[in-house]
Amino acid sequence: MSPVALEVDGLTHRYGVRPVLDDVSFEVAAGEVVAIVGPSGAGKTTLFRAVTQLVRADAGRVVLGGRELSALAGGELRQARRDIGLIFQQFNLVRRLSALDNVVAGRLAELPTWRVLVRRPGPTVRAEALECLSRVGLADHAGSRADRLSGGQQQRVAIARALAQRTRVVLADEPVSSLDPESSASVLAALASVARAEGIAVLCNLHQVDLISGFADRVIGLRDGRVVVDVETAAFTDDHRALVYRPAPVGALR
Amino acid sequence: MADTAAAPVGGAGGAARRRSNRQRKAGARAARRWHWRRWLAIAALGAAYVVSFRLTDVDLARLVKGLSTMAEWAGRAWPPTAREFPVILQRTGETVAIALIGTTLAAVIALVFCVPAARNLTPSWLVRLPARLVLNTLRGVDSFVFALLFVAAVGLGPFAGMLGIALHTSGSIGKLFAEAIEGLPPGPLEAAELTGASRLKTVSYALLPDALPSLASVGLYMFEFNIRSSIVLGVVGAGGIGQQLRNSIELLDFPRLLTIVLVILVLVTAVDQLSGRLRQALA
Ligand SMILES: Nc1ncnc2c1ncn2[C@@H]1O[C@H](COP(=O)(O)OP(=O)(O)OP(=O)(O)O)[C@@H](O)[C@H]1O
Ligand SMILES: [Mg+2]
Repeated sequence: MSPVALEVDGLTHRYGVRPVLDDVSFEVAAGEVVAIVGPSGAGKTTLFRAVTQLVRADAGRVVLGGRELSALAGGELRQARRDIGLIFQQFNLVRRLSALDNVVAGRLAELPTWRVLVRRPGPTVRAEALECLSRVGLADHAGSRADRLSGGQQQRVAIARALAQRTRVVLADEPVSSLDPESSASVLAALASVARAEGIAVLCNLHQVDLISGFADRVIGLRDGRVVVDVETAAFTDDHRALVYRPAPVGALR
Repeated sequence: MADTAAAPVGGAGGAARRRSNRQRKAGARAARRWHWRRWLAIAALGAAYVVSFRLTDVDLARLVKGLSTMAEWAGRAWPPTAREFPVILQRTGETVAIALIGTTLAAVIALVFCVPAARNLTPSWLVRLPARLVLNTLRGVDSFVFALLFVAAVGLGPFAGMLGIALHTSGSIGKLFAEAIEGLPPGPLEAAELTGASRLKTVSYALLPDALPSLASVGLYMFEFNIRSSIVLGVVGAGGIGQQLRNSIELLDFPRLLTIVLVILVLVTAVDQLSGRLRQALA
C-alpha cells in the first residue's frame, strides 16, 4: 500500500445548528484517485473548503503529508497550502493570459517577484510548464489565450496548473459539471492518468455517478454530511447508489 | 372530529384576514405619509429655484443688449486668420502635453490607491476607509484649485496646471479603477492565492491582466476629459491654447480668436473620436 497522502479524521462542521459535516473520516493514498459523490447539499463543497482550511471545521483533523493543517495558521498555513493543488468548477484561469502563462501561475509562490511582475518566468519554469501542458495533451495550445479555449481545454490547463504546483494532493470540486459528456470524460482521464503517473492523491467531487468507473479507484458517498459509502469503484453497486441518493424519508424534515 | 378539524382551518383564515386588514391599514398610512412628503418636496424645490434665480442675477434685458455686441464681434471675427497658425499649433501641443502627463501621473497614483480601496482586494474596512477618503478628497477638489495651490510652489505655468490635473484626476481614476477591479470575477485571484504566493504576485499576475482593458479604458476617458480641463486651465494661466484664447479676447483680436476656437473644436473632436475608438477596441 502506498503511503497516506491525505488523512481526514472526524471532521465535523455546523452552519447554525445543522451539521453540514458529521464525523467525516477517510484516508487517501499517494497515486489514489477518490471520487466523492452525493446529492446537492450533502456537504461536498464544504468538505473541500474544510480540507483546504478555507473553512475552519468545528472539530476534527486534516493531515497532509504528515503535517496537521488544521493546527496551522497564518504564514505557516499559507506555506502548507502550497502542497494542495485545486481544480475548480469554473476553471478560474486568468482569461487574458496564454495557456502556458496560466500553468506558470502554479509556480507563483517560488518565482522571484520581479519575474512575476514582468511575466518572464525564465527558461526552466517555462519548460516545466510546457511539459505539464503536454501531459494533458495541450502542448499545441501553449500560446492560445485562455478565453479562446474550449471548456474542456480550459479545465485541462487548470489540471496542468495544479501539476506545475508539484503538489502531492489535488482536490477538484465538480471539475466537469460545466462540460459536455465527451470533454468530461477526456478531462477526467487526463486527471487520473497524471495522478497515477506522478503518485498524486486526487480527491474529486462528481455529480454524475456514471463517470466514476474507469476514473476513480474508490468512491466515497456523502449524505447529509456523513460518509455512508466508502468502497472500491468496482464494488460500487446500485444499493450503494441508493444509499447515497435515496429520497429523504417522509417525516425527516429539518 | 369535524369540529376540531375545522377550528384550525377557521383560525388560519381569521389570521389571514387580520393580516390583510393590517396590511391595508399600513398601506393607507404609507400613502398619506407619501402625500405630505411629496408636497413638502415640491415646495422645497420651488423655493430653491426662486432663491437661485435671484442669486444668479438673471436679467434678460441685459442679455438682449449684450447680444448685439457679441454679434458685432462675431462679424469682425470672419474670416479666421492663419497668420499665427504655427504658434497656435505649438500652444495646442502644450495643452495636449499637460493632459497627457497629468493623466499618466494620475493613473500611477490611482494604481497605488485602488488596491486598498477595492473591496475584493482589501476586506478590512480599517484600511479601505482611509484609502477611499484619500481618493474622495482628491476627486472632490477641482484641478483648478489644486493648480492654484501649486502656483505658490512652482509658479504660474504649464507645470502647475499639470500637477493640478494629476492630483484631481488621480482621485477619479482611483475610484473608477477600484470599481473596475471589484467587477472582476474572484476565481482566478483566489486560485492564485491558494498557491501560497504573496499579494503583490497574485494581484499583478492573476488580476491585472484581466483588469487591464477596463483600466486602460478609464485612463483614455480621463485623458479626453483632461484635454478640456487643460484648455480651461490655460485660460487662467497654465499656458497652452487656453492662454492664447484669453490673449485674443483681451486684445480684441477676433479673427485670431475664431481660429483658436476652431482649432480647439478640431482637437477635442479628434481626441474624443480617437479615444472612443480605442476604448471600443479594448472592450
Ligand atoms: N457559508 C454557509 N453558510 C450557511 N450554510 C452553508 C454555507 N455553505 C454551505 N451551507 C450549507 O451547507 C450544506 C452543504 O453545502 P455544500 O455546498 O457543501 O453542499 P454540496 O454537497 O457541495 O452541494 P452541491 O452538490 O449542490 O454543490 C447546504 O445545505 C448549504 O446550504
Ligand atoms: Mg458543491
